[in-house]
Amino acid sequence: MVMHPTRTDATVLVIDDEPEIRHAVHSALRSTVARVLDAADARSALATVKAQTPDLIILDLGLPDQSGLDLCRAIRAHSLAPIVVLTARHIESDKVSLLNAGADDYVTKPFSTSEFAARVAAQIRRARTARPGTSGTVEADGMSVNFTARRAHRDGNPVRLTPIEWAILRALTADPGRVYTHQQLFDAVWAREFGDARQYLRVHITNLRRKVERDPTHPRVIITEPGVGYRFGIPLTQETA
Amino acid sequence: MSVVLWYGLLILATVVMHVARDTQQSQAHVVLVYLLVVLGGSVSGGRPLGFTLAAAATILVSYYFQYPFDEFSLGKPIDAIVLSAFFATSGTTTYLLVRAQEEASQARAHAEEIERLSNEAGHAAGLREAARFKDILLASVSHDLRTPLTSIKALAQDAADAGDANSAIIVAQTERLSKMVAHLLDMSRLNAGAFPVTIELNTAEDLVGAAVLEMKGTKGAERIRVDIDYSAPMLVGMFDFVESLRILTNLLDNSLLYAPGNTPVELSATRVGDWLQFSVADRGPGVPTADAERVFEPFYRHISTSSTVHGTGLGLAIARSLAEAQGGQITYSAREGGGSVLAVRLRAARESSFQFEE
Repeated sequence: MVMHPTRTDATVLVIDDEPEIRHAVHSALRSTVARVLDAADARSALATVKAQTPDLIILDLGLPDQSGLDLCRAIRAHSLAPIVVLTARHIESDKVSLLNAGADDYVTKPFSTSEFAARVAAQIRRARTARPGTSGTVEADGMSVNFTARRAHRDGNPVRLTPIEWAILRALTADPGRVYTHQQLFDAVWAREFGDARQYLRVHITNLRRKVERDPTHPRVIITEPGVGYRFGIPLTQETA
Repeated sequence: MSVVLWYGLLILATVVMHVARDTQQSQAHVVLVYLLVVLGGSVSGGRPLGFTLAAAATILVSYYFQYPFDEFSLGKPIDAIVLSAFFATSGTTTYLLVRAQEEASQARAHAEEIERLSNEAGHAAGLREAARFKDILLASVSHDLRTPLTSIKALAQDAADAGDANSAIIVAQTERLSKMVAHLLDMSRLNAGAFPVTIELNTAEDLVGAAVLEMKGTKGAERIRVDIDYSAPMLVGMFDFVESLRILTNLLDNSLLYAPGNTPVELSATRVGDWLQFSVADRGPGVPTADAERVFEPFYRHISTSSTVHGTGLGLAIARSLAEAQGGQITYSAREGGGSVLAVRLRAARESSFQFEE
């Protein structure tokens, strides 16, 4: 049967004006987290964020009293807890602007409960893990990257990377598992450059994958988030399916 | 036509005034009558007719109506001044009149152009407004349909996890319904006219990897085989990543649905001239050659198809529209040894090499 991720002692806040969705979220997370709090509008959501300091926030768009984007920014002013956005397909631009505004991940409705629970658990784990910073070693799926020594290994074998590939890896591994939008990666890698260089992001990613992935057809180190950006780490999509 | 008419009038005026020449008629009357004829000619015949009438009238005034009559000689010096004044006046008025006419017609043309443009601008604003309204409507329909689906799916999954067999069926049916909703929304977006695409430099590998990842969890996804040569230079194209991903997943869905349960579905990417070609090949029943185009019609279904196959009937139609929206193509062909090949062609990048320094 479907395995649920290990249950944590975490508190999750779900912000949604539809009671049915809140109920579905409760049901999906019952075996994953200790407590699920509810908020039906932006005002009570902000109050709960300040008073209860949840470990993770699930934000549905289309609240009656405030845009999701504004609420996302407002939450970010008070909390560093991961924000997972519930979204519909068709609106990639919404996902991108929410991620640029500080959201960490998104789940498309109607979601699979196991996938949803896996993503929530992964985001909670990610938030509790110390950031590798610039000195540590980052590992994923047999790939290990050390930024201090500027060395990368694939299953123990050294891998040669270009300066831009190092910059992309550094940007993605600053927060493994977090989705970085194309814009955020452009800014991190080509901060002081304008013009043509940026259009090659996807080409660099593809080159990088050929070096760091065991099987580039089934990427597990650098994951594509279609229309949105990339993330570093094990694919979270349908892990348990 | 107008040449004959106005010269006719010139002759008629000359005859009439000639008959009345010996009565009380003054030279001023003659000049005014001729001037009228010259102006009329200019209005209807433009500069050439105006100037020639003016010249002819000058000659006629001189010959018939200045003393001594019926010969070209000037009796008094004032007659020479009158004659040249008449010629200058008729020439100038002809010139001014024609210019005024031209300016008037230009102004009219401008006015018409402005009216046409403002109508178009109004129309464009209307279209924009309609597109915005359509987006809001689709977003709202999408939201309204997804909310119950999300709720049903989550609760059924919960019950299915607890071992309830009926709930497992509810989950599967909800997924089917979700796909139908997605396809209907895609279809209405495509049919609503201007379909925005984001054409960017993208790689075939990235797209194929994303398609395989997205298919994970779909029934039969483990049958997908990918054929890409990772030792060859990467394939780079100019296409919309999200819409192209929808094309590939629609094609894979279609093949997994119709090809028998144990046969592989092969996804490959190659460069063919100026195109990147993505092919999805299966060992399904295929369709008769005559139906090769019809498979892209909405709700096309080959008669031999078992009624237990639950497609939406829209996947390939959407795939074709999405390919064409970004300047690509999609074709069906029978596969050698049985089965189908659906080939999508998207524009390849102009550059052929993408090597960067280490």
